[in-house]
Amino acid sequence: MPTAVSSTDARPAPTRRDTPGRTADAVRAVVDVGHLLRFRMASTRRRATSLIAALALLGLTAAVAVVPAFLPGAGESGQAFDLLLILPTALAGFLILAVVSATASGGGRELIARDPASVFPVSPTTDHLGALLLAPLNIAWLMQAWGLLGMTAFAVGVDDLGTAQPIVVMWLTAGTAVAQVLAWTLEGVRRVPHGIGIVRGLTILFFGIALGLQITDQLLTAFDQVPTREVVVGMVSGFGARWVLTLGAIVAAFLIAVALGAVPATIASRRVPRDELRVEAGRYPARRTPRTLRGMLIRIDRASVWRAVPMRRGVAVLALGPGLVAVLGDLGWSDTMILPGLVASGGALLYGVNAWCLDSRGALWRESLPAPPAAVFDARAFVLGELLLAGSLVTVAIAAVRAGMPTSVEATALAVTLLVVTVQVVAAAMRWSAARPYATDLRSSRATPAPPAVMVGYSARLAISTTMTGLVFSLLSRAEDATIAVLLAVTMCCWSGFRLARTRRRWCDPSERARVVMTVAAS
Amino acid sequence: MGQPAPVVGGRGLHVRFGEVEAVAGVDLTADAGQSTALLGRNGAGKSTTMRVLAGVVPPTAGSVRVAGFDARHDPLRVKQAVGYCPDVGGLVPRATPWEHLQLAARLRRMPAWEDRARTLLERFELGDVAHRVTAGFSHGMGRRLSVLLAAFHEPVVLLLDEPFDGVDPIGVEATLEEINDARARGACVLVSTHLRELAVEACTNVSVLRGGAQVATMSAAEMSGEEGARAYRGLLD
Repeated sequence: MPTAVSSTDARPAPTRRDTPGRTADAVRAVVDVGHLLRFRMASTRRRATSLIAALALLGLTAAVAVVPAFLPGAGESGQAFDLLLILPTALAGFLILAVVSATASGGGRELIARDPASVFPVSPTTDHLGALLLAPLNIAWLMQAWGLLGMTAFAVGVDDLGTAQPIVVMWLTAGTAVAQVLAWTLEGVRRVPHGIGIVRGLTILFFGIALGLQITDQLLTAFDQVPTREVVVGMVSGFGARWVLTLGAIVAAFLIAVALGAVPATIASRRVPRDELRVEAGRYPARRTPRTLRGMLIRIDRASVWRAVPMRRGVAVLALGPGLVAVLGDLGWSDTMILPGLVASGGALLYGVNAWCLDSRGALWRESLPAPPAAVFDARAFVLGELLLAGSLVTVAIAAVRAGMPTSVEATALAVTLLVVTVQVVAAAMRWSAARPYATDLRSSRATPAPPAVMVGYSARLAISTTMTGLVFSLLSRAEDATIAVLLAVTMCCWSGFRLARTRRRWCDPSERARVVMTVAAS
Repeated sequence: MGQPAPVVGGRGLHVRFGEVEAVAGVDLTADAGQSTALLGRNGAGKSTTMRVLAGVVPPTAGSVRVAGFDARHDPLRVKQAVGYCPDVGGLVPRATPWEHLQLAARLRRMPAWEDRARTLLERFELGDVAHRVTAGFSHGMGRRLSVLLAAFHEPVVLLLDEPFDGVDPIGVEATLEEINDARARGACVLVSTHLRELAVEACTNVSVLRGGAQVATMSAAEMSGEEGARAYRGLLD
């Protein structure tokens, strides 16, 4: 009497019980996010510092959400009421920028980089949830969130603070989740034949409509029509049915978006990333050998920058985005002084804060070549500087369309702002690159040059320093002559130049260089 | 008349990374026209030794001279003399093989390099991908290109770290051919590998490392066959 199934017997078809259902898959995906998070946290270098930074971030967020409500004039009819009127536009603006950010990064950041992840059974749902969790670890997201929380606190005052802020917090989370759904969908479209062209076309169409509304003076009317007005009404209607309905609708939107995001994420994961493939399988015809060593080093570094998908996308967004915002917001030249710092900071975050990772595994071979270390450093700093400057110039050129002809003082202040923030950011980025290198190859459009938590620290420091610089020169652009602006620029360039030279000297030390090279080559 | 100085000479070589001692007292000599294999298990210190000899990592202690230059004090001269194939990757991901060759030719002051570059690309069967970025290469293609780049300028010292790792038979043949050519023109070749059979085939001498230290030096013939396999096994334990 047979006691077991023979190898020649037909295998029974899997029953419903054998195959895990969607719920089981979803539960597994959520559990896996926890595993990956623990894995990431275990590999954090300075855990105590990271914990302090996280607590500081939460403390700052809580302060921003509460303190403005106790300021004089909060919740009253003057400036506070004006802020309340523009709150619907600010809520919509958060959503738009969240979509742009998630789309530019190909669906959001990775909890674990693509290559190491490939050996683990990480599902697209886990990937989607991980990207959602990492989305707030981005200075642009944090600044907007703080802006919205602070605006709301001042606009509604102490009386409505308890009902308004939960709605804003849920709006931030739901907006991020909805942005993630759209970003995955666009990434899926980008990966079909002609998909890249379709996405570019949609982007041009969107900005074209916005520009059209601005040119025809209908932008403010359009802002008045945004449905987020209902959200603001829900915030200030006190604790009642309206408030519960508003909050409930946003929570529902959040849950639906979180669940729905898994669908386009799965579809996108099954398609080949065409832009990456185009870069890696494309032909790059030979060009004449440059006459100088400097020229050759710069050419290789430029190739490493411009053939990387995350950098191409990032530069495009950084150069065009702030410029278009300036046009739509009708910014004058004084306000435009802030933009170069913003673009330069964003540009450095594309790769500059870990500049030696451009060579990735090739770093060891490059280091074995008989090139003077100072020349290698100079080429790397030059290519970074030119990228930042080019991005800033495009932004300023777009902003100029609306701002008109600057006065001589404004033009001088703008020129020195461009110069100062570029030198400032290059010096900081090269310093961090040498001090804290990371192994990463920047092949994926979702890759970042350093872990997400570290990127928040870098972006916060860059944002503070360049915004301060921009504000100072913005004030100086209103002065009667540009002498003070020029003198200050010379002083600031000298200081940043001194710091850059100090980093260069450190790079020329063989032991320091070996540490950096061996770290980045381990990717 | 005394013996000529060895092309590669290291005494009491130590390399320390924080608390980890990657190389703990290696003595190494290699002469012109000879090929020496560095054998040992993973983590034995082979790659770190190669990085020191390439001028990439300065030694923590000990003396190392490569082609007459001190690797600690004159790494640039050392780099001019050696051709190095690193153990990991070794290629700039978004540059093409041709651009790698252009950079090497420029830095090594090679005036007419294109013909040799084309010959080597054909020998290593990389002619078809000479203008594609290396990020899309398979592991074996990357290894072949790394060996090619190391041998490109006909260096006085050829350092090949795991050159056979994941390489197909044609690539292995081309690499062996390069090693033989280098020896024939009087270069000193060092090959780091954990593949004993290929080390014996490629080299004249063998040095075995264990735990960051050198445990034996012998002729390649002594490492061949069943007897050599047993001897090698005994040195690893």
